[in-house]
Amino acid sequence: MGILTRASRSIQRRKTKSLIAIVALTLALTMIIILPPSINARQNFTQKAIDHLAWNSDILKDMVTLSATEIECNYPITMNMAPSDVEGKMIWSKHQPLINEILRDSIASIPDVVDLIPILLDHASNDRAYVIYGVPIDDASIHKVPTLLPINITQGRNLQAGDRGVVVLDEWLAQKLGASVGETVTILDHPFTVIGIEGQYPQYYEVGSRVTMSLPDAQVLVNATGSASTYKIFVNSVDSVNTVVTRLKNLDPTLNVVAGFFELNIAQSLQNQIDALNDVAQSNFNQIRITGMTEMGVAVVTNVVVILFIMLYSVRERTREIGTLKAMGASTSKVLGQFILEGVILNVIAVVLAIGISIFFTTYVSSLILPTPIQTSVSIGWDPSGTLVLGHYSFGDQPIRPGQESSNLIGASITPWVMLFGLGVAVCLGVFGSLYPALRAAQIKPAEAMRFDE
Amino acid sequence: MSNEFVLKIENLTKTYSMGKRCVSPLVDLDLEVRKGEFISVMGPSGSGKTTLLNIIGCIDRASEGRVFLGEVDVAGLSESRLCKIRRDRIGFVFQSFNLLSYLNARENVELAMELAGKFGGQRRQRALELLSMVGLSGREQHRPARLSQGEQQRVAIARALANEPALILADEPTGNLDVVNKQEIVRLLVDLNERRGTTIIVVTHDEAVAAQTRRMMYLKDGKILEKNNRQANRGNFDEGLTREVFEK
Repeated sequence: MGILTRASRSIQRRKTKSLIAIVALTLALTMIIILPPSINARQNFTQKAIDHLAWNSDILKDMVTLSATEIECNYPITMNMAPSDVEGKMIWSKHQPLINEILRDSIASIPDVVDLIPILLDHASNDRAYVIYGVPIDDASIHKVPTLLPINITQGRNLQAGDRGVVVLDEWLAQKLGASVGETVTILDHPFTVIGIEGQYPQYYEVGSRVTMSLPDAQVLVNATGSASTYKIFVNSVDSVNTVVTRLKNLDPTLNVVAGFFELNIAQSLQNQIDALNDVAQSNFNQIRITGMTEMGVAVVTNVVVILFIMLYSVRERTREIGTLKAMGASTSKVLGQFILEGVILNVIAVVLAIGISIFFTTYVSSLILPTPIQTSVSIGWDPSGTLVLGHYSFGDQPIRPGQESSNLIGASITPWVMLFGLGVAVCLGVFGSLYPALRAAQIKPAEAMRFDE
Repeated sequence: MSNEFVLKIENLTKTYSMGKRCVSPLVDLDLEVRKGEFISVMGPSGSGKTTLLNIIGCIDRASEGRVFLGEVDVAGLSESRLCKIRRDRIGFVFQSFNLLSYLNARENVELAMELAGKFGGQRRQRALELLSMVGLSGREQHRPARLSQGEQQRVAIARALANEPALILADEPTGNLDVVNKQEIVRLLVDLNERRGTTIIVVTHDEAVAAQTRRMMYLKDGKILEKNNRQANRGNFDEGLTREVFEK
């Protein structure tokens, strides 16, 4: 029977008051435990969104730089709504006439044209939810446009010059086909070896997914040898752009001809949108941090005040007991120790409960007490008319696929370190909150205490 | 009873200030108590009985004069030294027992020893012996709420004896008890005094209790009127006896 037994028995004796105090302390400590990892999770989440915006901003800058001397031409796409047997959903079925070798040779013969990059994009159809994407990997000039090849390889490697019979799948398609790097997949009855998996595939105006391969492979696959759906044309100077555009229109008036040069203003406007979104993300995060810190402060003050009042009440209620202890020769430090220990025990019981609550309910509680972080990001692409646009989409830990709900719940985990932090805070606040009542108890004069309530 | 002094008070004055007024319940008081004495202090309410007991028990200080507990003058000691003296040399018995309600009988007795720094096994053994001595064998695990008032006061007496104090100070120890329990507690105190030679000072309103002691004192106007009670009629609670002694 030591000081610990006395302190815990004293708490047990005042069951109702102790229980009320423990409930209040548990609520405050739950906030104290949940807030730091939740703020951290939101910080990481927002940081990802900001990084993603920066990444898109960099791509945009590259595009703007290159597109000053770049012209893109293709035939307009016609779109029809059609059911997909893969997704079980209605999808856009697209048709795009191809540019044949004759037209290609005519384009190549236009003066001032220095490079011609063919791309074959065979769109998703009602029997296939993914795009077949052929890139001229043997042509060194494709590196003028960094986004032509997959830019986010997460497994395996990217396509390189000389590759044949190999493909890069995006993550969603790889998962759908159950294929991983090194395995063989069948695309339109042809076997291909998967050499790489690419991460998030920008979702601009495309419903479905894509498989990337060499241009010759793609041409054989869709039975279009020598043809391409789009040509990226590079001219020798910005001054030649207008002339070449006119020459292209003369070759075939139905051709869709877009010069990057013309898109500089659009690009600047898109950059402004990205910057604005970035500002929103930053201010959103600052708001989360300020709210979190304020709530943390309120929780700490509540915890200390609850202990202060319950212990002050306890000291007043037990004046005779304290007087008796002092008359029996209890030193100041023993009285001080017992009351501080009682405050700490209350908070330790509360923190154990708070940890239990936190383990199961952190995600839900944090969504109630903290603002939701920014949920959208952008991707850069072209609409069917060839104009540069920003696609907005919901951003999360995983890329959001069509039909998938975005969630406002940001998971935060209660690690053993967080538990230890909670315990440490509980002990410190327990000591801090009960210090003044304990000092009052220790200063009680036994002779006066004996007269109390007589 | 030996010639050794347990307590010696010289010219003790205690003055309280009550607003603008000063009250002196004890004025120039002298008292000597030898080892093994059993003394009762009586007097009307407000006569300073409890104040005297508190000063002797080092939980209050004298305004003037000297108070020796054994060889030590406690008048000028620091609070921590007084605390040590209370713990090692004084045993208190209170009118309302003042047991800790959340500890059982044994733990209440052990508490006094724990405060004195005694170790677990030794504490437990002595607590059981003391409870047996006050007639509470088999009741060690009972909390105060499950003990009768008489039994609670027995536990309090066992607790007061725990550190083998030089002096037991009992403030109205029978004040809250019925006649039967009162007799039992007084018998216990008498027994302790006679068989174990424990020095006891009892403050009481009860003449029948005072009649059981060897020295009876009456506090009046801050001074002690004293009478030896050699005819102490132990066990016979005659309410008129004490008044008779003082009236003579």
